[in-house]
Amino acid sequence: MPQNPTNHIKIDVGEGAAIPVKSDTGLFTAWRIAFFGAILTCLYLAFVKPEPYREIFQFIPDGILVTFKVTVGAILLASIIGLIAGLGRISGNRIINGTASLYVEVIRGIPLLVQIFYIYYALGRFVKIPDMFSAIIAMAVCYGAYLGEVFRAGIQSIPKGQMEAALSLGMTRGQALRKVILPQAFRVVLPPIGNEFIALLKDSSLVSIIAVSDLLRRGREYASETFSYFETYTVIALIYLIMTLFFSKLISLMEERLNANR
Amino acid sequence: MKMFRFFSVASLLVISLSATAMAAPKSIKVATDATWPPMEMVDTHKRIVGFDIDFMNAVAREAGITVTYKNTAWDGIFAGLESGKYDAIISSVTITDERKKKYDFTEPYIQIGQILVVPKTDKSSKKIADLKGKKVGAQIGTTGAFEIKKNPGVEIKTYDEVGLAFEDMAAGRISGVVCDEPTAANFVLQRKEYSSKFKIVGAAFTHEGYGITVRKGNAALVALLNKGIKAVKAKKIDEKLRKQWLR
Repeated sequence: MPQNPTNHIKIDVGEGAAIPVKSDTGLFTAWRIAFFGAILTCLYLAFVKPEPYREIFQFIPDGILVTFKVTVGAILLASIIGLIAGLGRISGNRIINGTASLYVEVIRGIPLLVQIFYIYYALGRFVKIPDMFSAIIAMAVCYGAYLGEVFRAGIQSIPKGQMEAALSLGMTRGQALRKVILPQAFRVVLPPIGNEFIALLKDSSLVSIIAVSDLLRRGREYASETFSYFETYTVIALIYLIMTLFFSKLISLMEERLNANR
Repeated sequence: MKMFRFFSVASLLVISLSATAMAAPKSIKVATDATWPPMEMVDTHKRIVGFDIDFMNAVAREAGITVTYKNTAWDGIFAGLESGKYDAIISSVTITDERKKKYDFTEPYIQIGQILVVPKTDKSSKKIADLKGKKVGAQIGTTGAFEIKKNPGVEIKTYDEVGLAFEDMAAGRISGVVCDEPTAANFVLQRKEYSSKFKIVGAAFTHEGYGITVRKGNAALVALLNKGIKAVKAKKIDEKLRKQWLR
């Protein structure tokens, strides 16, 4: 990660959907076409072909809510884990640094699907974790490792001189971190966190494997009973698309506001 | 390809009308979800075994065809049949009216019912309706899952494999599992880690016939398989298999 001392620092993780910015007109147009196209397709299907589409739309809303809950819960928990891991990674203490690095390396080396199975079924033998909560924990533990790297890069992107200046003003290291470094780092890491949020939203479909009734599982339940595979998965794909596009737009707006406040 | 299919269909029609030779293919691909012991499962040598497999082999022998098996996840097993990935399914498929609308079935080859399994600590529950306000699990898209849904107030949890439902009950996350009687017996009675924890309650509460599933309109294959099933039953091979696999 380059240590860029200018104001325009941008960490690009690039796992989520492309975030539409106004300067990129091609992507911006594509966003509009995809977003409104998906909504119109849904409306068209619901009103022109009510059989079976209306029934599908009636069957899955609680699944959307679960997907949303898992995603929001996981990103909040992952941010906390990520901040701790990120601080650990830049810590001068060898044990803390080693532990944080080990966590990041181990988690990033294990597929998320395997982690979900592991936390739910393998650890389920020893500790009883409710299903929704274990889904959130699995996602958060995984994404915490990625966010840890984001936080580390964000903190390191703040010029060293600021810490030195804060220390020379008589602040302790902790005070300098809390009052000078982190507030600036947060501004830098917010966009990549938004990116991770969208990636997490998509990956949350993996929790359907542990019998969490998310959007995908609701769709699979419907399809397995009616055999309307084409219709059901068309709707599921459209809804995921609408959700990710909606949030990517929200994040781009947030990014614009952040830049405007500079 | 289409032309070829047209000709093969046409020739099938001619042959079946004249009722002379064997019209159906000599070799068919059959899908099974081998997570449903003792009907179909994978043994320690990674082979697909079980009542259904032995039964299908016997039917094939009588019908003069060879069979290759494809282990397929249950969720999507019908979609794969529709898209032509295989010719038939033998996987404890209950013949239901909904399924009959979409697929063709052979004659039922065995009668089986759904049954409820609960933890041994549960002294009062005898049927699904007794588990009101609690979670009951089943494999996704099975008749067991459909039975649970008939009980308002009982929350259903669906799993990709029935084994995962039993494991979840062992972890205390659900209060019951509904599945086919032989499968319940296999999980509860024959597995050490579960036999001390679970019990089967009541008797089977549905009566269901299993059929071999084929694509809609594949009458030639249905006729051929039915002929095989008839021969297997006449020779009492199915009874022997029942003794071998189902107690």
